[in-house]
Amino acid sequence: MDFLTSFYSSFLKQIVLWQYELNSYISTTIRSINDENNLSVSLLIIGIAFLYGLIHAAGPGHGKALVAFYFTSNKSNYKKAFKMGYMISVTHALSAIIFTFGIYFVLKTMFRRNFHELSSVAMQISAVMIILVGLYLFYEAYKSRRAKELKIEKSSKSELAVAFSAGIVPCPGVMTIVLFCIVLKQFVLGILAAIAMSIGMGLTISLAGILSIALNKKAGGFLDKKGYMLEMVGASLVLILGVFLLLATFSKH
Amino acid sequence: MIRYFFSLIFIISSAFAHPHTFIEVFPTIKVKDNNTQSIHFKWMLDEMTSSVLIIEFDQDGDGKITKKENDYAYENFFITLKDYNFYTDIKSKGKTQVFPKPINFKATIENNKVCYSFDIQTQYDTKDLQFDFGDTDFFVAMVLKKEFTKIDGAKTKVSELDNDFYFGYRLELN
Repeated sequence: MDFLTSFYSSFLKQIVLWQYELNSYISTTIRSINDENNLSVSLLIIGIAFLYGLIHAAGPGHGKALVAFYFTSNKSNYKKAFKMGYMISVTHALSAIIFTFGIYFVLKTMFRRNFHELSSVAMQISAVMIILVGLYLFYEAYKSRRAKELKIEKSSKSELAVAFSAGIVPCPGVMTIVLFCIVLKQFVLGILAAIAMSIGMGLTISLAGILSIALNKKAGGFLDKKGYMLEMVGASLVLILGVFLLLATFSKH
Repeated sequence: MIRYFFSLIFIISSAFAHPHTFIEVFPTIKVKDNNTQSIHFKWMLDEMTSSVLIIEFDQDGDGKITKKENDYAYENFFITLKDYNFYTDIKSKGKTQVFPKPINFKATIENNKVCYSFDIQTQYDTKDLQFDFGDTDFFVAMVLKKEFTKIDGAKTKVSELDNDFYFGYRLELN
């Protein structure tokens, strides 16, 4: 256990240091854009933004927790984990771009304060949706138990609900890059960097799903016909996560 | 067992954000007769966060922070960080101290980065004096390097701080 805690701490430290370096590198590089190096530097920034997203999402976050819990409660395959990760990325990128451009061009001033207010509302919507997803998963697990059917797959509606609830909260990291580009009048680059960063984040979130599916497969085989119990555990975890996030939005933030 | 551990890690970790703002900390401390005579901190915020704050602070767009803009930054942004103990835990003789009210606050813009400078007036015995920099919510990452420190009159040590679920730095004086 000590080894795992120590490994997690070292891992956390390393991703913070990488982000610190990448954050500084991206901002310096965006500022260095001029007419002559526009294309090459823009491509470089998009590549770095992808890497930044990959590392940024490796830190703690509710998106990975939700995906992991969802796949704990749902028999699925690795392809679906990738699909889920990328649905979250798309929602995430769109939400960040719409929020940032909206606040900047519509509200203009008081950016940061409005951002906090809006992200707090978005977090509350997300938390309520996560609670609803948890309740839905409970219902599915109950049905699964009644039917003694272990190979039930959730409808694509629940996947969309999970992706939407995880992605609707715009990542401040993506928003900051978009805003930074807007300030420097690099609008297209801002959108492309947000998309690249979201794709990187989606890949990391997919990996959380894949890990969860692998654990589910092992535990599911062990539990055999009591597989619904695992679904109940997953549903409970999603529900707890939703309640926890909702309570967090009413705390000091 | 592994599954429960895995789930536990996710439950605990989801309580924490990942850092979106990076602040470099530059402490300047003068020590005489084992007591701090002056403690000055300068925070340099990362360029991306700074670009957002500059929109807020620099209302006249002249690239400088006027007295009025400085007051606005203090009241609306800086002083609200008291809820987070200004991301600094002071420990003297093994006991955590209440972070004193910062004075002489000044916001500036240097190389497109927002800087906050401030002093704290309280004197501390430098025996086992520690400053732990970090955000318990892990939304902000504080960065301290040995070369950022200017300590006159005492030996210092800068080390990384492992707080299990967030990461910080420790400055020790003795």
